[in-house]
Amino acid sequence: MLYPQKLNRKKGDLLIKIFIGISIILAIILVLINHFVTPDVQWAGLANAGIIYIWITVIYAISRNSNIATHVLFQAIAISVLTFYIDYKTGFRGWSINISIPIIIMIANITMLILTIVSYKRYIRYAICQLVICLLSLLPLFFIYEHLVVNKTLSYIATGICFVNFLLTICLSAKEVKDAVSRNFHI
Amino acid sequence: MNDEIRKTLEWRKLDNSAKLFPISAGKKYSTVFRLSAVLNEQIQPEILEKAVEIALEKYKSFRVKMKNGFFWNYLEHNSKKPIIEEEKDYPCKYINPSTNNQYLFKVTYFESKVNIDIFHSLTDGNSGALFFKEIIYSYLEMAHPDDFKEELRTYRKVDYTIEDSYIKNFDKKAKNNNSSKKAYLLKGGKLKLGAISAIHEIIDLNALKEQAKNENCTITQYITAVLIYSIYQVNFANPKKRPIKICIPVNLKKYFASDTITNFFSYITVEAEMEKHQLDTFPKILEFVKKEFEKKLTQEEIKKTMSGNVKLGTNPFIKRIPLFLKKPIVRLSYLEIRKYTTMTFSNIGRIGIIGKYQKYIDNFFMLIAPESAEKIKCSACSYENKFTLTFTSILNNSYIEKTFLSFLEDKKIAVKIESNGVNM
Repeated sequence: MLYPQKLNRKKGDLLIKIFIGISIILAIILVLINHFVTPDVQWAGLANAGIIYIWITVIYAISRNSNIATHVLFQAIAISVLTFYIDYKTGFRGWSINISIPIIIMIANITMLILTIVSYKRYIRYAICQLVICLLSLLPLFFIYEHLVVNKTLSYIATGICFVNFLLTICLSAKEVKDAVSRNFHI
Repeated sequence: MNDEIRKTLEWRKLDNSAKLFPISAGKKYSTVFRLSAVLNEQIQPEILEKAVEIALEKYKSFRVKMKNGFFWNYLEHNSKKPIIEEEKDYPCKYINPSTNNQYLFKVTYFESKVNIDIFHSLTDGNSGALFFKEIIYSYLEMAHPDDFKEELRTYRKVDYTIEDSYIKNFDKKAKNNNSSKKAYLLKGGKLKLGAISAIHEIIDLNALKEQAKNENCTITQYITAVLIYSIYQVNFANPKKRPIKICIPVNLKKYFASDTITNFFSYITVEAEMEKHQLDTFPKILEFVKKEFEKKLTQEEIKKTMSGNVKLGTNPFIKRIPLFLKKPIVRLSYLEIRKYTTMTFSNIGRIGIIGKYQKYIDNFFMLIAPESAEKIKCSACSYENKFTLTFTSILNNSYIEKTFLSFLEDKKIAVKIESNGVNM
């Protein structure tokens, strides 16, 4: 016999599809409850944003095709978007851009800084994520420029940490950064 | 810098043909081919695992994973071990880069059979066969140490490069010779999503050679003609009068000097307009196929086709489109491009095995993945006196395969059938 008699199809994809289906049904139920029971307070959007965030995180985590730096970058973007959305839906008092986004950027930069120091010889794996995080770290400066920020201290600290992080990266791993750029941007 | 860290820094660009595969491939269009070896003994998984490791040491170009760049994908050194598993899925399935420790090939086994499924970005059928043979050699040496004492002591040297032979050999001025006519596409009910039927027609090579000699043609020409005849007999209710187009991959190493282990193939397309050319009998079809081969299988014509494809990959505008935009564009255009072929017939020829190892091997198979436009694909290889033609199909019938078989049997050519049991 040349082939197994029972050829399987992988069950993993099916399970994920079932759970995504359940999540969609749950999201619709939440919207309906919100609409009919408490129409004055739009909490369903917040709950559904949380569901979307969880799913994006789960799918990204099980892809197993990403290193720690891409997780840091991904989480920094996802949590920033989530907090901004929550702030916007709850009357936009500005706490997302005044406090949470600068703190998220600080944490992302400090994590990348530690990664650079601990494993700078393997830094090439993280270089592109590092550069993208540095670019994103300019967001607080943009908020200041646009006069969207009331308390500027955290924004300046976040940008300062990013600057230090970038300088240290260039000092320690300039060759790796150059190599990472050449392999990622070759045409 | 230690050796392992240095290796992680190694990377290489994809060759010109390989660039398009990761962009266009997916679950419904896997661009995976399989090579199988049937041994005369049960496979021992632990030995097979070691054999793959040894082969990877020699063929380092296979020890890679696919990475996304901003404009193109690229290959990077993979320091993990490939996962060897018992066969439990249909052949030639899409190799998800996040499985199998990100390797672009997958080795499986079942009873006495070893399979390797290879994503086409990595290499073509001929070079894939070299790597696969190395696995089989290493396996047999370890499984039978007493018989291969000398081979275990000496190092079997392999010579290859990873140059992009397309870039080296293409002609900037060559004009594209692609046909503008869409092909007749096979009709019929489909198998459930993901299922693939594999039918091996194991043909007596001497009898086939004799038959081809009598008809004054090559085996590939003869088989191509029988394929067109079978399609015509079974499936040719063609109100739009579209031609039956058989795409035949060509090993470019026969035409250009190259030692590359990466892709280096092109193709010719035999375009049979059944009514226009009055191809209603097999002798007429065979004569037509012979003329098509004579016209198209020349270095000049092959260079034109190859150069046309290279120009696409080196086009300054296309090169500068970001990968995330290239993917939908290429996938959409591939939906259209694939309608220009009725069936692919890939013959990688003889699998040459060193004499001492032959007694342990019964046969080799080659399989290529069918897809929604080319619902049946056909591939072949020969080993000793066996010429094995394999039909892989997503159709829920096997009319073409059976017609093909009856034709050969009518010509008194001995054929043995093996299959994965889906359609036969």
